[in-house]
Amino acid sequence: MTAWKDSAYGRRALTILRSRPFLTVAIVAAVWIAASFASRGFGAYGHLRYLVELGAVIGLVAAGQTFVVIAGGIDLSVAAIVTVSAVSLPLLSWQADPTGVTGILAVLVLTTAIGLVNGLGVALLRVHPMIMTLAMATFLQGLLIIIAGGSAVTAENPVVRWLGNARPAGIPAGVLLWVLVSVIVLTTMHATSFGARIFAMGANSLAAALSGVPVTSTTLAVYGISGFTSGLAGVLVLGMNGQGYVGIGDPYLLASIAAVVLGGTSILGGLGTYAGTIPGAILLVTITALITVVNASPGWRSVMFGSLILGLLLLSGREQARR
Amino acid sequence: MSTVPSAGQAGALYWPVQARRNVGVRGLFAVVLAFLFAYGFLFPGLLTASGFAKFTQSWFPLALVAMAQAILMLTGGISLAIGAMVSLGAVIAATTMTGPLGVAGGAAAVALTGLGIGAATGFIVVRLRLPAIVVTLAGSFIIGGAALLILPRPGGAIPEWLSDLLAGNTPAAFVVLVLIVLLWKLYLATPLGLSLYAAGENPVGAYRSGVPVDGARIAAYAISGLLSTGAGLFVAAQTGSGDPVIGAAFTLNSIAAAVLGGIGFLGGQGTMRGALAGSLLLSLMISVMFFLGFTPVAQYVAQGLIIIGAVAIPQFRKVQQ
Amino acid sequence: MVTRAPLLAARGVSKSFFGNPVLRDVSIALQPGRVHALLGENGAGKSTLINLLSGALRPDGGTIEVDGYTVSRMTPTYARQAGIAVVQQELSLTASLSIAENIGLGAYPKRFGLIDYPELAARAGAACDLVGLHEPLSTPVGHLPLGRRQMVEIAKALYRTPRVLILDEPTSSLSATETKILTDLLERLRSEGIAILYISHRLNEVMTLCQHVTVLKDGTCTADRTLEGTDAAGLVRLMVGRDPGDLFPRWQPSAPPADVISVRKFSAGLMRDVDLDIRAGELLGIGGLVGQGQEDLLLGLYGAIPAGTASATVNGASGLPGGVPKANALGLAYVPADRKREGLHLIHPIIANMMLPAFARLPALKLRSRRAERETARGLAAQLAIKGDLDRPAQALSGGNQQKVALAKWMPHDPLVLLLNDPTRGVDVETKREIYMMLRNFAAAGKAVVLLSSDTPELVHLCDRVAVVREGRIVAMLDRGALSEEAIVSAAMGAEQRKVAA
Repeated sequence: MTAWKDSAYGRRALTILRSRPFLTVAIVAAVWIAASFASRGFGAYGHLRYLVELGAVIGLVAAGQTFVVIAGGIDLSVAAIVTVSAVSLPLLSWQADPTGVTGILAVLVLTTAIGLVNGLGVALLRVHPMIMTLAMATFLQGLLIIIAGGSAVTAENPVVRWLGNARPAGIPAGVLLWVLVSVIVLTTMHATSFGARIFAMGANSLAAALSGVPVTSTTLAVYGISGFTSGLAGVLVLGMNGQGYVGIGDPYLLASIAAVVLGGTSILGGLGTYAGTIPGAILLVTITALITVVNASPGWRSVMFGSLILGLLLLSGREQARR
Repeated sequence: MSTVPSAGQAGALYWPVQARRNVGVRGLFAVVLAFLFAYGFLFPGLLTASGFAKFTQSWFPLALVAMAQAILMLTGGISLAIGAMVSLGAVIAATTMTGPLGVAGGAAAVALTGLGIGAATGFIVVRLRLPAIVVTLAGSFIIGGAALLILPRPGGAIPEWLSDLLAGNTPAAFVVLVLIVLLWKLYLATPLGLSLYAAGENPVGAYRSGVPVDGARIAAYAISGLLSTGAGLFVAAQTGSGDPVIGAAFTLNSIAAAVLGGIGFLGGQGTMRGALAGSLLLSLMISVMFFLGFTPVAQYVAQGLIIIGAVAIPQFRKVQQ
Repeated sequence: MVTRAPLLAARGVSKSFFGNPVLRDVSIALQPGRVHALLGENGAGKSTLINLLSGALRPDGGTIEVDGYTVSRMTPTYARQAGIAVVQQELSLTASLSIAENIGLGAYPKRFGLIDYPELAARAGAACDLVGLHEPLSTPVGHLPLGRRQMVEIAKALYRTPRVLILDEPTSSLSATETKILTDLLERLRSEGIAILYISHRLNEVMTLCQHVTVLKDGTCTADRTLEGTDAAGLVRLMVGRDPGDLFPRWQPSAPPADVISVRKFSAGLMRDVDLDIRAGELLGIGGLVGQGQEDLLLGLYGAIPAGTASATVNGASGLPGGVPKANALGLAYVPADRKREGLHLIHPIIANMMLPAFARLPALKLRSRRAERETARGLAAQLAIKGDLDRPAQALSGGNQQKVALAKWMPHDPLVLLLNDPTRGVDVETKREIYMMLRNFAAAGKAVVLLSSDTPELVHLCDRVAVVREGRIVAMLDRGALSEEAIVSAAMGAEQRKVAA
């Protein structure tokens, strides 16, 4: 009866079944099935596809966040960076380039640079990541209001529009982008030396440094990646929204951290995987969609969102005692 | 080489211990004093009774949230819900104090809400072992949502006499702050209060020594909640009404003030007097920028830069050594 | 005497963690007025037994008795009330609190609900005097060196006026003087009728201090007898289960050496203006009292802390490495003393710990080959006799095996200079012997080994030369011919003698 459990493949299957990413996938599936019985139209292909499309934005922001958290830090400036990206793209778009690719590249360079500055503060000035990134967020908020004022900007960039609206082979372009990023992120995280260094740094940065891990440059890289993926998310959200405004990135701070933690990554660093963050992101948009279905006041929506996340954390986000 | 403790040493332990705690914050005190002198020189109004009252009133809520954050950070925790708690305190005060509960009932409601939510947060973090940063981030949505439910848009009222008392031309706010600091000293002189440090820095060792580690940490969350909603009450008295999002800026500022004051993120590092000095420094900087005619937006930018600079420079010097 | 009930006893206790039996049917009885030694290799179950005796863990089977009566539910609180105090290996102190506040922690004298500071000062002061701590009671513990902190920890146990005192390796970070104070103190406490359980890897201490011994091996009790008529070799035999043989490999003169590292006027941390040549094929010992700057010497050479020098050559390159990755590239490797904080990633699999230096020096985006990693790790594990599944987290290993992993991870890179910081601290005899063999073989292969050690016999028997450090300077360089424990200790103590005279 239990022979399969003892075989190599059986044990492997068991490990997967017991893993946190799988648990998160299971929760998503359960919620989807329950919701499609409860609410007509929820389970329709179009609606689920829409959910995954929304999840792509969170997933992109949370990709960088996963790197940072595994490396033992946290990035509280992701929301501001998403806004910076969405608002400054039209400003940086170059009239002479009809494709709009240069504009996107310029924005991504900008947001990566912001991330690198975070990394510099954390690695060289030894500012605690929470302070560094919160201060960066404050700084960017002020800067954004100065640049953009209160008005919304419109996306004229064709690539951005394509990204937000096109559906090659029936799959939204944003989802395709997410799949591509996921493959790159998972490969970097689990199949390169760089990925192994990040895990080592997060578990014990002193021991990592004494083992020869170049801690400064790795920290820089991690925050740079976070700036890059947040910038990418900003481009996508601008395309999906058609408009960018100050505050457009705000929901993605809690969402990115929650997706990381719901996916089983330890907020203390050193343990985790983006493979869990992906279903974590989808779970979050599902919750948001359910709350929207209920059609409550902003106050209730906020309370329900917070409570559901807290409840899910209680279900799956317990930290093992570690010392 | 005498083996008998001298009476002098045995008799006076409390004050030498207190004096020792000043060692780490002397530099900060000097900076704060220099800023105070410069401020008094630039704006001599500070030295009049009403000028002093106004100044301490602008400092008061920041001082409270800095304490609220510092007490958590001393135990190795943190809260990203401080701002939401301030908002909640403000709307509860603004909706109850002119109602049947009266001022006393309203103040009690504010205090109980703060203690209760704080204790509940502490229970979830400590006993259910969820990371504080995520719990309080989710909590900030719940608490902020609750504030919106109580008062969907700015409104409500605070009795005028209370506003006059707390935020008028008397230094009442300063007196209250002194009282709160004295109460804190008293708490820190109890076994539970002092064990905050041990629970934050070396919880395993503290547990083995017989310290109620979980209790000390949950108590810290409860006190932190009380201080935050108390700050909300004061903010409501200042503005004369309630605003469900008025506290938003306090989350960052509370962390910034505590860190400026030398409180570490790892637990057990720093002192409350440092956190208070940090909040005073931050408050001074905000006031100076206001008087120099910075727009609120420019204040944001400058604040971000100053916080990073203030935290980075001492660290940088340490690395250079 | 025999009829008196023991103050504290375990009767046939067993304990398993996750199905692995750690203790099987172990009994121990602590009699008043006796110093009872508990010996065993790392992982033999000593810590678990202490935790059972002090109520930190509950036994799966068997009973704990206090004064001859069975205690149904032993808890830390109950143990404290019964007068059982434990000095654990991991200190229970808080750096930001004062000495007195640490000593009283968890048991403050109270007045009106507040801490009674005058009373605390008097009682903590008395406890400090017992252990020879003369620093002001208001000094924050964080300002004290490690050895003094250990004394605070002992004072903390004495403050509770224990009837049973359990000490887990209390002398591992103490200087000779402090060890002497502690030994005298324990002798006095014993004569006052206190029952003492003493755990140490230093057998000469055990021989002079203890009257009775219990030996654990693989979770079972292999001896429970009086110490009279036993010698150190006999104790080792009891612990290891066979004849000890020589702990140290036989010293053999090495080939005429060439310098691999040579620094002039080297300064780092506490170290000032040091001239030092490290030769290929030799084992260079670094001795001295705890905390004189020895560690800074290693870290500075390794590029882990800022260092300055008038001139330096490291494996042919001129100048200090100035950074760990560069030092690794030059063939330097460092094994830290504190393996939990500095050496290992406890939550990560053993295999990941072993491969980390490789990840650190490979190109960042090079794809990993899990198969090759596993092969390398298996090879290392076999070479160093590390048993079991390599996917277990490193924290599942015993202290000795953790140390082996910390060493093993450098082996695939074939370092030319191995810098070791107290590699045998808290390591059992068998692992010690393996490590010594490895170091000798390493030197014999023409590499240089720098061994910083707090264990003087180790320096004498193993090293070709020993540099003795005092107050940030090398005060003596003892060649093989001049090496003796007396020579090292007297060079190390020079400063203390002068201080007393002044």
